[in-house]
Amino acid sequence: MRLPHRAVPLLAQAAAFLLALWAAPHLGALWGAPFPDVQRPVWDQRGWFALLGAHLMLSVGAVVIAAALGLGGGILATRGQGRLRPLLDALFALAQSVPPIAAIALALPLLGFGAAPTMLALVLYACLPVLRGTVAGLDGVAPAVLDAARGTGMGAARVLWQVELPLAAPVILSGLRVAVVLSIATAAVGAMAGAECLGTPIVVGLANNNGAYVLQGGLFTAWLALLADRALALLAR
Amino acid sequence: MIRFDRVTKRYGHRAVVDSVSLEVRKGGLCVLLGESGSGKSTLMRMVNRMVEPDAGRVMLDGTDIANVPPESLRHGIGYVIQSVGLFPHWRVADNIATVPRLLGWDAARVASRVDALLQLVGLPPEDFRARYPHELSGGQAQRIGLARALAADPPVLLMDEPFSALDPGIRRGLQVALRRIHAETAKTILFVTHDVEEALLLADELAVMQDGRLLAHGRPAEVLRRDADPVVKRLFGEATLAFHRLGTLRAANAARPASATQPAEAQLPILPPDSNLKQALMLMLESGTDQVALPGGATLHLSDILAAA
Repeated sequence: MRLPHRAVPLLAQAAAFLLALWAAPHLGALWGAPFPDVQRPVWDQRGWFALLGAHLMLSVGAVVIAAALGLGGGILATRGQGRLRPLLDALFALAQSVPPIAAIALALPLLGFGAAPTMLALVLYACLPVLRGTVAGLDGVAPAVLDAARGTGMGAARVLWQVELPLAAPVILSGLRVAVVLSIATAAVGAMAGAECLGTPIVVGLANNNGAYVLQGGLFTAWLALLADRALALLAR
Repeated sequence: MIRFDRVTKRYGHRAVVDSVSLEVRKGGLCVLLGESGSGKSTLMRMVNRMVEPDAGRVMLDGTDIANVPPESLRHGIGYVIQSVGLFPHWRVADNIATVPRLLGWDAARVASRVDALLQLVGLPPEDFRARYPHELSGGQAQRIGLARALAADPPVLLMDEPFSALDPGIRRGLQVALRRIHAETAKTILFVTHDVEEALLLADELAVMQDGRLLAHGRPAEVLRRDADPVVKRLFGEATLAFHRLGTLRAANAARPASATQPAEAQLPILPPDSNLKQALMLMLESGTDQVALPGGATLHLSDILAAA
């Protein structure tokens, strides 16, 4: 196992992130410095670790669903001479083109406040990169390899599982990586719908004219997204 | 063994294979020769149902293959293609083991079969079984491709221009290896190529295709006879047809037996066993004589070659 060796810098960065979350309530002077007018610059309405947990549940949950849809769509789009490809690509592109904030607003009457409309918006936003990655990965499998696989008498399902998907995996994973970063960064808007997450300090800060809250929420959301990107880059190797 | 019964394949209005009937006998090595676009690959790919004919049928050992599910049909037919198509994420041993694993062989049987096949194709098992395809040269990769095709000991082997992408020296080595393997295993082999030299080196039987039609079929010497079809002559190169024909005739059949009255001259160059008349002529040109000796004392004169050609 050489993975732990390569993972050391990542683990150090994750530790730094957690340390910063733990220290955030004690750093009033730091958050207050850019905003001298703010009376209470330290976010203390909810624990940072609770927000982190909720944020991860939202974004990872959405990515799991988006990955299933994108992977399924990508496989479907490359079967039968790619007849379904234009349709699926247009559908997924349309889904991503709806701004997440608009998706949440439109879903509110149907799904109510909280996690459900946020999840929907995130799934719509994140499934296109997975679809594109899957299609590109499967397209990249050499025709000779497919010809040989069929020629040895593998059935279509076996060719897909044992040959196509393993060979396409690096490209699929890079699509997934984009989806994770998008989803983590975008999950913050869920706070608008009342879903608790790292975006909550941003929304509360905007409502109360508290720039220090916005700074803290924004900083930790971006930090988390970058960490996840690094982790998936490691996995892709 | 393999019988094509008036098979036709059309793409749009064009018939790529046009009502071809052909029979390959059990244990034979039949070479399908033709230029690119002649339909030879398409015809071959009908045997393992990679291509389905629009009309006619293909019989394998008396069974119409249209009634055999493609997957189980292919388990019994080795398939080797020009671009090899090894699975890049699998080691050599796993590549070779593809069909045995599909057939559910146990691990010990698979492992010993893999080693036996590596030896058969001339690669030391301990050096090669753990390699990945990107660690192989082109010639080695095609040897592994051949081993994979032979893995479950299929009675039939389909080979689609398997050596065309290789350097001439490597190609010769593989052609010789294939002849040896064919002699040792008695597989029925259908071999597609556009290379005349390769066809004549390998073929028991030669089938010549042009524009989807079968132009000529038979033993190489028959196909290359003097009154051959003009298109066949053009395909083999009219200038060199006679020369190619010499390559299809055994030297021993044209030689004069050793005679007591006229002892063989001591200094005649000796022709290796199983040589053909082309090789005999080459030896004469090389050594500047008009006679060569065969092992066993027979002699061959230039006039014998002219008479046989």
